[in-house]
Amino acid sequence: MELTKLIARRAVQLIIVLLFVSFFTFLLVRLLPGDPTDVIIPFGTAAKKAELRSDLGLGKPFFEQYADYLNNVLHGNLGKQYSSGRPVSDLVTQSFPVSIQLMIYAQFLALLFAIPLGIYSAYRAGSRADTTINTTGFALLAIPNFVVALFLSYFVGAQLKWLPTGGYAPGWLDPLFDGTRGADIGEHFNYMLLPAITLALGQIAIYMRLLRSDMIATLQENFISMARSKGISNRRILWRHALRPSSLTLLTVVGLNVGALIGGAVVVEVIFGIPGMGLKITQAIFSREYIELQGYVLVIAVLFVLINFTVDFLYTILDPRIRRGRSAT
Amino acid sequence: MEDLRPDAVPGGSGSAMEEIVGESINRGLLGAPAEISIAAIETGGEGESSRHKLSLGAKFAIGWMVFVILFAIFAKLGIITWGDPNESFTRCARRGPFSKEGSVSGFLAGCDSNGRNMMARLALGAWSSLYVAIGAIILGFTIGGTLGVIAGYFGGKVDTFLTGLFNIFLSIPGVVLALALVAFLQGSAEQAQDAILSPELILIIAIGVVSIPLVGRIARASALSWTQREFVLAARSQGAKHRRVIIKEVLPNVLPAIFSISLLGVAIAIVVEGTLAILGVGIKPPTPSWGNIIATDRGNLFTSPHIVFEASMMIFFTVLSLNMLGDVIRSRFDVREGVL
Amino acid sequence: MIRTSRVLAAIAVVGAMALATTTGVASANNQSSDHRAASGGDITFGLEAESNSFCTTKAQLAISGIQVVAAVYDTLTVPNDKGLSVPYLAKSVTPNSDFTIWTIGLRDGVKFHDGSPVDADAIKANLDSFRGAPGAANAGSLLPIVLSFMQDVTVTDPTTVTVTLNTPVSTFADYLFLVGRMGIMAPAQLNSENCATDLIGSGPFKFVSQSLNEKLVVTKNPDYWQKGYPKANQITFVPVPDSAVRVNQLKGGQLNMLHTSGAVDIDTLKNDSSVNTLIQKPGYREIRYYAMLSDSAPFNNPEARLAFSLALDRNKINSIQNKGLFTPANGLMDIKAPGYLKNAGYPKFSLTKAKALVTKVKAANGGAFDVILGTTTDPTNTAEAQLVQEQLKAAGIEATIAQYDQATLINKALAGDIDVLFWRNLHGGYSKSSDADNYPWWSNYNTPAGKKNFINFSRFDDTATQDALTKGRTESTVSAAKTTYTAFNKAFAAGNYILPAWYINWTIASQKSVSVNLPALPDGGGKPLFVYGRIPVLGLSSK
Repeated sequence: MELTKLIARRAVQLIIVLLFVSFFTFLLVRLLPGDPTDVIIPFGTAAKKAELRSDLGLGKPFFEQYADYLNNVLHGNLGKQYSSGRPVSDLVTQSFPVSIQLMIYAQFLALLFAIPLGIYSAYRAGSRADTTINTTGFALLAIPNFVVALFLSYFVGAQLKWLPTGGYAPGWLDPLFDGTRGADIGEHFNYMLLPAITLALGQIAIYMRLLRSDMIATLQENFISMARSKGISNRRILWRHALRPSSLTLLTVVGLNVGALIGGAVVVEVIFGIPGMGLKITQAIFSREYIELQGYVLVIAVLFVLINFTVDFLYTILDPRIRRGRSAT
Repeated sequence: MEDLRPDAVPGGSGSAMEEIVGESINRGLLGAPAEISIAAIETGGEGESSRHKLSLGAKFAIGWMVFVILFAIFAKLGIITWGDPNESFTRCARRGPFSKEGSVSGFLAGCDSNGRNMMARLALGAWSSLYVAIGAIILGFTIGGTLGVIAGYFGGKVDTFLTGLFNIFLSIPGVVLALALVAFLQGSAEQAQDAILSPELILIIAIGVVSIPLVGRIARASALSWTQREFVLAARSQGAKHRRVIIKEVLPNVLPAIFSISLLGVAIAIVVEGTLAILGVGIKPPTPSWGNIIATDRGNLFTSPHIVFEASMMIFFTVLSLNMLGDVIRSRFDVREGVL
Repeated sequence: MIRTSRVLAAIAVVGAMALATTTGVASANNQSSDHRAASGGDITFGLEAESNSFCTTKAQLAISGIQVVAAVYDTLTVPNDKGLSVPYLAKSVTPNSDFTIWTIGLRDGVKFHDGSPVDADAIKANLDSFRGAPGAANAGSLLPIVLSFMQDVTVTDPTTVTVTLNTPVSTFADYLFLVGRMGIMAPAQLNSENCATDLIGSGPFKFVSQSLNEKLVVTKNPDYWQKGYPKANQITFVPVPDSAVRVNQLKGGQLNMLHTSGAVDIDTLKNDSSVNTLIQKPGYREIRYYAMLSDSAPFNNPEARLAFSLALDRNKINSIQNKGLFTPANGLMDIKAPGYLKNAGYPKFSLTKAKALVTKVKAANGGAFDVILGTTTDPTNTAEAQLVQEQLKAAGIEATIAQYDQATLINKALAGDIDVLFWRNLHGGYSKSSDADNYPWWSNYNTPAGKKNFINFSRFDDTATQDALTKGRTESTVSAAKTTYTAFNKAFAAGNYILPAWYINWTIASQKSVSVNLPALPDGGGKPLFVYGRIPVLGLSSK
């Protein structure tokens, strides 16, 4: 009962947020002063401007324009890139999987290193190793993505020549979005490793520190002492008993961190020349393709909202503590 | 007590889960750097030993910030001049401590690719980076703080509305939101004959808008908990005006929380300005900022690494120091307790 | 203690695994490039920019796009290394006695990539779109201005097209190349809504796919009309806008070929024994210049233009920006082109004179002398713009820098939003005449018919330059052309519409495994010309 109500409430919230987000992206183009067509295609022919004007629904009442925009978006029509006539939706299907893969790898790498480090420093809280890990983590948090990106491409890419300093090859996800693209997995990882490491470095510190503090708290709880008194090995206690409750928190944060990753990915894509949505956004800005830009912002916002809601929802369902807490009130 | 706020995370207010989930939503806000600060809030100072260590670090942090601020102000006011940051010297172009050709005497930190004195540029860059960052956070602090306190204090529909508003702004990743705002605002300024918004002001607004919900949520949570304390309830029951209660009772207790998040916010804003500069929409050259020094000379990283390296170090130590100071304030005033 | 070390060991293992992945990938990289070499003839070519549209009739192509055009399409003529336009896709291009009627003879049996014939109908359709004939498909807005002298195109027989001009143009054959822009498209592309993206040409390589900002792939055209060509199996064009990164990728092996016009990068490449370089020699080089918008304040005042020219210490900019490696330019043409002058009369840097003039201009202009400098987003250009800005400031001119991507910069310049355009272009690519490289760019902004020459970015109207240009396109002898274009070069300098900076030595760099052959042109046309950073691709091959 409780659950159905919850689902319904969440769904309504989701729709409201999505409506507002789309309204915001709609407003962006209307922020442009005067005749937006002069800004979007300053040298366009009269015919082209008329076409754009009708695309944008200019001249219609304000909310009708928004309704049209929404209707178009729901039908997968995000407008056109005016320099080439390409549909923005095509550009999105090309760049979307690129960014998604980058973010998945970054998350994976971050967890791969953060979990053992977090557990270890919680277990040895206060030790010299813990202090070292913690201090390093704190320092890592203060290094901007773009600095990491530049220095990795310099040292690992240019000096050591281990990995490419830029470029892209399609991976496993690209063909799913665009059938004409054949995957080249080896090359793909070759290109993605440095950018993924760049994005992961900051995340490692966050996850590690979060896990550490969460586990320190868990380790002081009664059930841990009980397990200890039963003679269960420390290793088992750490990985089975203590990590479990903490991992839920961690995974939630991982999901919610996608927004941060998207932001970080923008600049990392630009520096490594990866044709994801971040690179497209900056190019759209420099070529004054406002409609294209609007499309990317919308897609990213919707993606982020959906992930947030899914994670939040899963969290509610999965965590017994919350369900218990809820029924108690 | 049934929780009617729409954004309330199941578990009700006061649960540690809300803390984590709520803050991790914020975390999405500004891109990677954002999490930094909040993770710092989250994990910093949870033991006597680390508190002791922080104070060691805090000394460094205070020292560095004093240095950077003086470095910036002196350069801006011309009290200590490192030379004209916009004068080019052919003999010095691309040369510096780590470059292939080596340094040129008289230029302590070397020169950029245009032969301009790096020391002078780093100093004036400190000014513009801090100017934009602090300006943006003051905007976020004022608007976000006010709205957050109002939401937390009044609760009910006001809270529902404001929190909903914060959530909508939080649903677009911070860097993307700032980038979009800058792009469209600059597009407007470009088109308008008499541009009211200077490029710096556009940056301040864009980054400031992004920080509003971040500050707002912290302020709201803090105000909410203080509003439920006995002395506030007592003041309210004695018929004191809302304004008076907010200013006299709630605000003084909420300020440390907002202040510590604002310090971290400045750190984030410095990084965001840098990011925007790399993307080509930061502070306009020739005015140096740490971000645009890196952006302009990133192509010379292979031959003259000192340019990017020096500006990166400035950002690194400043962000590190601000993070540390934010931590110190947080643990001094026990912000976490307050939020709970 | 033991447990601690176990955890440490676990971390060590994870670390080692990560390292193993790294090195594993690195060796995989080496293998794959070996593999590439073994399969033979695959070339990865780094370009300086991405192009959105390859619909040659209306795309505003810069060098990167032109390089792709050279692979997918053919042009009716090409220049050879003597600076003469010779027939290429066309079998012959012949004028009548007064250069008003030109007959284009076509080769038998040449086919577009879709199998349709390169016949007179196809060529007429292309030329009609290029010149913007009424009702022509996919016509652009700029090329019709350039080709406005084309009055009519008629099909005489399946392999002959006759072009009637409304004025004598002795250099019409040059216009059929137009620095590589005049790629002939198959009717299927020309008439398509997707003209920008569905490339069908008759060139040595067939278009396969384009992923924006990632790569554009073309594959060998086995039925190419020049037998035995192309040599390579496939070319992948990769846009890498950052020149330093492009060079670095060549060294790292992700690219095996690139073009660049950055002096510092050329210097690096030249001194690297692991790469081959083809550096353009003096003769028909592009120049870097700053074009002033001369039809509105402040540059509608000739003294303002002079002040700008006096204020810039171009040698200093060249020393800093290019390590002094490029030759300063003081005229439009390079040494082999008609009209070349070592110094056509551009003023020498003088801060005192500049300051005095600036004061005068300010007095006449209500106290203001503010300009907008327009350039692309490349970091090197940002740095150069800042040098210019600094020098202008010293003279009292306030400059703001505006940056756009290449195509948008062109649009902004066309719209008149930019006071000083940072531009590079070729204004002397032929030995017989400098008409095709100058008339479109510098003929008067306002023509008597009330039409505007939008391509004249400086937007000036000048009787002396216009007279020389009008005379120039009718000259039939080289010596007459030389006299006329020398006069033009001088008159142009006297107007101070632009300030030339330096000649650019375009450079192609490739890995040792790539051989850059420039095969002789068909029908004894001579050796092809490496001009403008555009390299003919049909002779490229890779071991």
